[in-house]
Amino acid sequence: MPTIELSHSDLCSLMGTVVSVKDLEENVIMYAKGEVEEIDGDNLKIDIKDTNRPDLWSAEGIAREIKFRLSPGKLPKYKMKKSGRKILVSKEMKNIRPLIAAAIVKDIVITEELLLQMIHLQDKVDETFGRKRKEVAIGIYDYDKVKGDIEYRAADPNKVKFVPLEFKKELSLKEILNQHPKGKAYAHLIRKYPKYPLLADSEGDILSMPPVINSNYSGKVEETTKNLMIEVTGYSEKYVSTAISVLAAALSDRGGKPESVEIVYPDRKVTTPNMKPKSISIDIELIRKISGLDLTNNEIYDLLKKSGYGIKSKSKKTKLLYPAYRQDVMHPIDVVEDVIISYGYGNVEVKVPEIATTGKADETEVFSKRIAEVMVGLGMQEILSYTLTNKNDLFGKMNKKEEPIAEIENIVSSNWSVFRNWLLPSVLEFLLQNKHIEYPQEVFEIGDCVVLDNFQPTKTRNVRKLAGAITNSTVNYEQIASYVDALISAIGIKYKLRKTNHPSFVNGRCAEIFVENKSIGFVGEISPKVLNKWGLEKPVTAFEVDLENLKPI
Amino acid sequence: MTMKKFKLTEEGEKYAKEGLPEKNLIELLTKKKSLDMGKAKDSVFNFAIAFQWAKKNKWVDIKKGKLILLRKPGKIAEQDALQNLSNGDDIDEKTLDMLCKRRLVEEIREDALKKAQKLVGKDVTNLTEDLIKTGLWKDVKLKPYNVEAVGKKVFIGKRQPYNAFLSEVRQKLVELGFREMTGPIIELEFWNFDAMYQGQGHPSRDWTQTYNLKEPKMGTLPDKNIVNNVKETHENGWKTGSTGWGYEWNPKKAAQLMPRAHGTALSARTLANMPEIPGKYFAIARCYRPDIIDATHGVEFNQTEGIVIDKDLNFRNLLGLLKQFAVEFASADKVKFHADYYPFTEPSVQLSAKHPELGWVEFAGAGIFRPEFTQPLGVMEPVLAWGLGIDRLAMFKLDIKDIRNLFTRNLGWLRKRSVL
Repeated sequence: MPTIELSHSDLCSLMGTVVSVKDLEENVIMYAKGEVEEIDGDNLKIDIKDTNRPDLWSAEGIAREIKFRLSPGKLPKYKMKKSGRKILVSKEMKNIRPLIAAAIVKDIVITEELLLQMIHLQDKVDETFGRKRKEVAIGIYDYDKVKGDIEYRAADPNKVKFVPLEFKKELSLKEILNQHPKGKAYAHLIRKYPKYPLLADSEGDILSMPPVINSNYSGKVEETTKNLMIEVTGYSEKYVSTAISVLAAALSDRGGKPESVEIVYPDRKVTTPNMKPKSISIDIELIRKISGLDLTNNEIYDLLKKSGYGIKSKSKKTKLLYPAYRQDVMHPIDVVEDVIISYGYGNVEVKVPEIATTGKADETEVFSKRIAEVMVGLGMQEILSYTLTNKNDLFGKMNKKEEPIAEIENIVSSNWSVFRNWLLPSVLEFLLQNKHIEYPQEVFEIGDCVVLDNFQPTKTRNVRKLAGAITNSTVNYEQIASYVDALISAIGIKYKLRKTNHPSFVNGRCAEIFVENKSIGFVGEISPKVLNKWGLEKPVTAFEVDLENLKPI
Repeated sequence: MTMKKFKLTEEGEKYAKEGLPEKNLIELLTKKKSLDMGKAKDSVFNFAIAFQWAKKNKWVDIKKGKLILLRKPGKIAEQDALQNLSNGDDIDEKTLDMLCKRRLVEEIREDALKKAQKLVGKDVTNLTEDLIKTGLWKDVKLKPYNVEAVGKKVFIGKRQPYNAFLSEVRQKLVELGFREMTGPIIELEFWNFDAMYQGQGHPSRDWTQTYNLKEPKMGTLPDKNIVNNVKETHENGWKTGSTGWGYEWNPKKAAQLMPRAHGTALSARTLANMPEIPGKYFAIARCYRPDIIDATHGVEFNQTEGIVIDKDLNFRNLLGLLKQFAVEFASADKVKFHADYYPFTEPSVQLSAKHPELGWVEFAGAGIFRPEFTQPLGVMEPVLAWGLGIDRLAMFKLDIKDIRNLFTRNLGWLRKRSVL
């Protein structure tokens, strides 16, 4: 969710009307899916929730969206002049970073506000929409320092040199990746190629090494700059053209005069930016059906205009035009939402759906609840633990051989790196946290474990288990065995205990629990070796059973 | 040791004097070496008993219809014990037990009346069964207890409060007519993302936003038709009327496994599995995201969410449903709606509820599932989808400031918590 920093006065001047901060907060919530997070004098911080609308990620975009609603007019027109400039794309770029789009914005008065918004917008689009410059990277230049046609080509990382932004010394492309902070940050995007992307003008002056860094000469924009060139590189036509339109629109809204650039690929020519409105057809009935609002056609047309749509033809299938910088309109349903937003969510009369259905809780949940009640009846305290844990807790501390389990790759903490496949470690960990609490302690947990299962599409299966433990200065096996007996008898099924050896329990003090000749768990006294490994100082008796196998058939 | 007293029964008295039947049988056999069964029956009193015990002790056997002596026992413990008891001496417990079972010995029951009479006129601590039965409790003085002393601490068993809270939420949703959905914790990316029209290049699928599995890595995709519909929808919109995302959809990416990142994966599975129409479904789903763990982000969290499907549902119904939830769960007296964004709903909405004590809280996020989500799974009807901020309410109810404490490790706190 991008956070936009802007000033209230700048926003008002862009909208052309003065709106109080309080009204503005309301407007941002209602129309821009945003929230004013912080107000500090004239400065505002706004969170924009829509990650699919980069056109809203600047003061210009927010102002535009609110302006449509407050004073609906015609679809904004961005008159484009041809600059006559070309970008010549070399053949090699096809396999490195194939696409480029550019625009020129002339006669722009660079104010502090504009500079701030432009840098913010560039940053948000690069990082969020452009997925950290992988999909989209933007470069902005002082146009007056760019001579003639521009070449977008691949360059030798060792031989080609230029002075990167904010540096004084000339460095090779490779050195930039190793030494410049931006070089280090984005090196992974191009290092794998034998040659790196480069933009240079007709005199051989280097503009930048996309998507990493501009040159310090033409790639630096200051308050004295009068004319700008913007360029976007990437892989997807849709992403690249959206990004260039968003930037061109924002700078035009600031009073700049946009001009187009011709991109010459080895096999085709494209003129960018394409600011021609896009179109979509919608059945007006869909708006009434989905919104549930009783609106006349004319009311709908007004709401469409308020939402920034132009109406090309008014028939059953209404043809709408919308600005080129919007890339989120994929389906008529997107138009429906815009109409309801313009109508005002607060004005919608709510209606509880009248659907008679029979509710039903999941059987495992119902059974778990019953079992929890039995355990509580035995005087045991229920606990709840995470399903994520680590191998040392599951196996090492339990004196158990490691078993194949579900493991996370991109862990945040090694404490939470695998899914538990049994419950007892969670229970012992709980006892460890409560060594200073009065004894006796009797606790149980009912919870999901994850076991590997090759027959499942997910190669794993959830298993609902129950584990319980009793600890005190002395414990006896009989008590825990009685609890197990009480539990299974309460369910009303027959079971048998058979002596077994389990590495976590004392030899000769552990039994396996069988129901219908199927092993469903075990009960016994925890081995002192395991207690030592955990750092537990009092004896513990415990049991664990598979709840699914306890359900009477 | 027991304070009980024992005496010989009538039969016991007889055997003490005349010898146990098995003893008599052995003595007879010692003289004769072998005997006809019929003759033995006539010669030994209670022959059946005699034979049963002698056989069990492997002293005698039957060979070719004749009774023979296998081994002559030395002393017979039971016989000695009978003698000792009649002399008033103690005997060992095992033998006593055996004699009781054979009904040769019985406990001497002191007369209840006699016992009670001993207490008459005295200060009595324990009100006994004898006193109550005989009515003699009227003639004793029951000593007062120190009733103001606080009882010894007893730690009772209780439900884990957050679990109990979730049980109530489940119960309420069932009462509202919702069926519970469940599914695997380890999920296919297909159900977690692709099926709900989240593009494979979408930022929310970045490794910083969701966990990946190291082991096992790949699962198997569902039914080919559904997979193909989803693929086409991503690439070109399929028959949904959408433009699609316009990229080449990769089935390998969709088959990757991940811990479920949101409960909507369960709604996707439900939609693909021929849901009831009209139908209402909910899930309380454990979810996993690689957030930095702090007071507002736990290692794991539960999402409470669900769907309502019917042919003519609309946005007004969605708001109506949300308002109902706000009243039922958050006791809200006022609600506000505003536009929101979720990758898989359009229109989308957020509900703020005015909780009587918390004030305005963001309580629900909702929307109507995009056609690009529902139609490829075979559902043509509108699907209202909602998620509730249940954990926030749980924290308020349990007076917890740190979300991690919903999974508390503090037994002292659990013991102290009121069950109300």
